Amino acid sequence: MKKKKLYTAINVTAFLLPALLLFVGVLIFPIIMSGVYSLYDWNGIGAKEFILFDNYKELFTSKNLRFMKALVNSLLLAFFSVFIQLPISLGLALTLGKGRKGERFFLSVFFAPVLISTVVIGQLWLKMYNPDYGIINMAIRLITGNPDFGPIWLGDPKLALGAAFVPILWQYVGYHMLLMYAGVKSVPVELREAAMLDGASQGQVNRYVVIPCMKGILKVSVIFAVTGSLKSFDLIYVLTNGGPFKATEVPSIIMIRELFIGGKYGMGSTIAVMLIVLCFAFALIINRIFKQED
Amino acid sequence: MKKIISAILTGAMAISLVACGSTDTAAPADTAAPADAAATEAPATDASTGTIDLTMWCIATESDSNRHSYEAAIADVTAAHPEINFQWEAIENQAYKTKIKAAVAADEMPDIFFTWSCAFLGDFVDAGRVYCLDEEYKNFSSELPEVMLGNTTYDGKHYGVPLTMNIVGLFANMDILSEAGYDEVPGTYEEFIACCDKLKANGVIPFGCAGKETWCVTEYLESVIEKSAGADVLNDIFLGRATWANDDVKGAVDTFQELVGNGYFDPNGIALTNDEVKANFMAGKYAFYMNGTWNCADFAAQEGLNVKVSEFPVINADKSKLGELIGGPSDTLAVAASSPNAAVAAQFTFELGKEICHYGYLDGCGLPAWTPYYDTSSINPLTNTVSDICANASTYVLFGDTAMSADDATIYLSYVDQVYGCMIDGQGFVDGLAADIR
Repeated sequence: MKKKKLYTAINVTAFLLPALLLFVGVLIFPIIMSGVYSLYDWNGIGAKEFILFDNYKELFTSKNLRFMKALVNSLLLAFFSVFIQLPISLGLALTLGKGRKGERFFLSVFFAPVLISTVVIGQLWLKMYNPDYGIINMAIRLITGNPDFGPIWLGDPKLALGAAFVPILWQYVGYHMLLMYAGVKSVPVELREAAMLDGASQGQVNRYVVIPCMKGILKVSVIFAVTGSLKSFDLIYVLTNGGPFKATEVPSIIMIRELFIGGKYGMGSTIAVMLIVLCFAFALIINRIFKQED
Repeated sequence: MKKIISAILTGAMAISLVACGSTDTAAPADTAAPADAAATEAPATDASTGTIDLTMWCIATESDSNRHSYEAAIADVTAAHPEINFQWEAIENQAYKTKIKAAVAADEMPDIFFTWSCAFLGDFVDAGRVYCLDEEYKNFSSELPEVMLGNTTYDGKHYGVPLTMNIVGLFANMDILSEAGYDEVPGTYEEFIACCDKLKANGVIPFGCAGKETWCVTEYLESVIEKSAGADVLNDIFLGRATWANDDVKGAVDTFQELVGNGYFDPNGIALTNDEVKANFMAGKYAFYMNGTWNCADFAAQEGLNVKVSEFPVINADKSKLGELIGGPSDTLAVAASSPNAAVAAQFTFELGKEICHYGYLDGCGLPAWTPYYDTSSINPLTNTVSDICANASTYVLFGDTAMSADDATIYLSYVDQVYGCMIDGQGFVDGLAADIR
């Protein structure tokens, strides 16, 4: 009996070891090193100076960095992701999950933006937003009949943040839709039919049967949407690079600027650590909220 | 039995992973040799062909004015060196700054790399990542005056091969100006402002400026500061010899904001890149475009485009004068200290730099840092005008974001951005920079 247990332990260890090594080497070790570097004033190529938590203090107090403003921008994106993007995805998933004609075709169409490179999408939207020849302003001019009218979508600090959010939300609607579609399809048909026999309308079936059954998927979608918003970088980098006048900055943009343009590896690592902490914290909070719901 | 086989296979997989890891981590250790050691190592050659591999990163992308000069120079130099297998890659200007700094931090640089002089290269030199070129320079000292190496000399040692030198020029679309009744670019600031007002009244946007790339805003702002406060003041501030808290600088920033506030700048420019703004200027959307004189080549090559280049007019004649210019030799090639072929790369870099300078000058991408050895009668008139401007120059102030350290330059650009957006005034600009730049 003891021998069998020993064999099992050896087998489990042997099977887990490669994955564990990769996990520690690729994820845990860099996080620890980022934590260590965040305690230093270091330009990445010269001597390091130990400054304890000065980088953290500067992060939250510096008028130049404006980290809190960037964080608020990310949280706004998270809010819109959860309350605009996910409901649209859910609506599409519920509609397509009913097995309508052309279901596969529409699934592919809505999922297509996820497959396209973010840089390509950024370039497409840059052209659409162009104040002179962009299709959006051309449509506005056509509708208003004013040939000179047209906002500078990515150049006006009041509009740029919203304009940058639209493509981000649009791109990942299909991603969440696919997750939720799998959830909708996993709901037993008998449950739907039983509800229908009891006189429930389609909306009531979705609300009282389908959606409660896919709570796990919804939780995953919310976690992905919130943490994805906190980490958002690529589309904003392509569309505005944090401008105009820092109006669209998110923490990752500041991190890249501090790291590679400013050569402040200590501060860059501090922002990286803050992002990791925030992502974990939000994932835990969302988990807790869904648990309470249960 | 199955369990034993599974365990053996798993163990083998784990060992293979560790083995792969050790191979990967050994490579940088070999290449991270100190500068002097790298030079004495035998060149890393391809055993099968006997060639030496050299790599280079630069910013001469397809849309860059210097693209042709790089292509032509590389063709010439590689033809003269069949023993060298040369690979090069061009990265867009702003992205390149990020890429090269990351590569330097990781000590994974190419053998040869493009860099800007002064503080930008200085950070890399301080970290011991750049190969000293003193030995190889001896072979080229008769063709490359030592004065041209000033911005790439640290502690008396040379670390860069200058290519061309450029200044900030005021490019004017003469067709648009003539429609407003001007045959020449206005020479005084008052006439210049009157011209801008007239252009605006005619429905023409006077200036195009790419707000998406803050260095383009500095081309305007630094010129205004220099022509208001004087070149010496700006030089002292950029080089850390004086504080930003200067009333003349404050006044100059306010003057710049007046230009913005008067509606002389294209409001759409805030969301555009430099390439887009330049294309707009070439398409006749703006009357003026302040940018580096490396653009002379493109403007001269565009058929039907009637452009003149001049200095920005003097704003305060008590403090500044014509001949005080923003610019100088900045575009540079350097060699990585970690290159296993550093000495070969250094020799190759001098030859390449000389040829890039040669073709760049002929193409109108800037003035030569190297002594020309060829017929220069075909140089385009715009570049010749720049030569005349430089011939009468009294002082050069290197571009602010090149002259300052990376950290300071980031802070500086952040304030420039706020000035362009009129989020702070001149007082806010000088107070903020005086407090934040140590």
